[in-house]
Amino acid sequence: MAFAPVLHSEWIKIRTLRSMIWALAAVVLATAAFSALAGLDSDGTDFDPLFAAFFGVNFGQVAAVAFGTTAVSSEFQGGALRLSLAAVPHRGRWFTAKAVAIGVPALAVGLLTGFVSLAVGSAVLGDKASGLSAAECLRGAVGCGVYLALMALLAAGLTALLRSGLATLSILVPFLLIVSFVVGGVSGGIADFLPDKAGQVILHQTSDGALGPWSGLAVTAVWTAAALAAGAWSVRRRDA
Amino acid sequence: MTSIDVHELTKEYGTTRAVDHLTFRVEPGRVTGFLGPNGAGKSTTMRLVLGLDRPTSGTATIGGRAYAGLGEPLRHVGALLDAQAAHGSRTAHDHLRALAASNRVEPARVDEVLEETGLTKVARRRVKTFSLGMRQRLGIAAALLGDPPVVLLDEPSNGLDPEGIIWIRELLRRLAREGRTVLVSSHLMNETASFADHLIVLGRGRLLADTPMREFIHARVQPRVRVRTTDTEALADLLTRHGYRTAEGEHGGRAVFDARVDDIGRLASGAGLTILELAPEEGTLEQAYLDLTATETEFTAAASTSAAPAQPQEA
Repeated sequence: MAFAPVLHSEWIKIRTLRSMIWALAAVVLATAAFSALAGLDSDGTDFDPLFAAFFGVNFGQVAAVAFGTTAVSSEFQGGALRLSLAAVPHRGRWFTAKAVAIGVPALAVGLLTGFVSLAVGSAVLGDKASGLSAAECLRGAVGCGVYLALMALLAAGLTALLRSGLATLSILVPFLLIVSFVVGGVSGGIADFLPDKAGQVILHQTSDGALGPWSGLAVTAVWTAAALAAGAWSVRRRDA
Repeated sequence: MTSIDVHELTKEYGTTRAVDHLTFRVEPGRVTGFLGPNGAGKSTTMRLVLGLDRPTSGTATIGGRAYAGLGEPLRHVGALLDAQAAHGSRTAHDHLRALAASNRVEPARVDEVLEETGLTKVARRRVKTFSLGMRQRLGIAAALLGDPPVVLLDEPSNGLDPEGIIWIRELLRRLAREGRTVLVSSHLMNETASFADHLIVLGRGRLLADTPMREFIHARVQPRVRVRTTDTEALADLLTRHGYRTAEGEHGGRAVFDARVDDIGRLASGAGLTILELAPEEGTLEQAYLDLTATETEFTAAASTSAAPAQPQEA
């Protein structure tokens, strides 16, 4: 069985669900809107002009997580997975296609989000953003896109492992919105290696932790790869 | 020709044995009814045949090959397992299009199967607006998508209206006439009797019967004659004197066992009795099935206290 038809099928499944399209739209809108709001209130000693332009990613990533979760959880409703696996019995190939069909649009929308958020954020910041170099801006926007795609895939892998969208969201959303904010204050040490903290280093002008921009993103990629591997293991091993 | 071969198939969930050393073959060119009470293992067997569940032991093959080894399986086997499999927010057309794409089934087939299942008018509506009967039709459309030589349908008449039930009956018969292998599970006896040529009956995961439907009924239910006269007592007396076993029938008539209408008619007329009704009564599938499951209950109750005798199974 060839891979391309399976990927085509999974892509049709994603683009024919309105909730998927809305989730992707929400990634752009939430990130840009909250970045703009944050830009209006930007003072303090640890002010980072680059992160101020990407502050909304804290909220946009929830939409990215919702996108990755729903794309997989829809297979765990009413025997949909059985139909999918009866059509594609090579489960590894099926799950790979699913991940690509989630990852590629998430990356595309993530990159769009990065550049929109940067444009909106720096416009609101005005002079305060003048210290940013073009290279830093580009790094931030590209990093934002990759980071959002990784978070969507992390959620996809976790959903396949837990076989439930509700379970995944009840773990990831509180984690991203609460735990990380609290632990984030205690910078340094193990907190730097949490999937969201590590990946967001690339959105900062300066980093004072153990990880740099790209090594931070690599740490997030390792988390995502682990979640996808666990999800693939679950799909392959368990009765559908 | 493509047959389904199940050999010594066993599936255990924890300590429960859902399918127990099952061996049978489903032949092409006829409709095979798959019967058994809820929990007998019909759906589990279907999932095992489709490679969705892993057997504890034994094999299930289609045309000699394991399901996972079929290149583009929808072109070989079409299955309806669950009418709820289509996502509620997707349209019927999109649901089938995604499925077709995965097996490189030409997109024109989507419209053909929608037409065949009577869903053309609602093809662009979201599945959540569908009635159970429409979802069932959509599931059947999905099963027919790849024009497969083997069709497995789990309770396809669920939720269908009377018109739909007639439609599915005609469809199943046509599929069998076209030489396909058709396995249809059901717990509705009258429904199954209307389309099945052959029966496979399960009870508690084991094979209870694998016979042509006519033989199954005749082996278990004696044909009877129903007779009603103006003088019931004289009739009963007459029949008993001639060595017939009788029982009280419906509406004041008598049921005569092991008899032919010709004999009973002549007998009654010779005795000067006025006959109001005289008709042969064929056994129904329901009677035969209930007879089988009754003995099966006894069998399992006895088996729990002594060693279980070997089950007769066809090779």
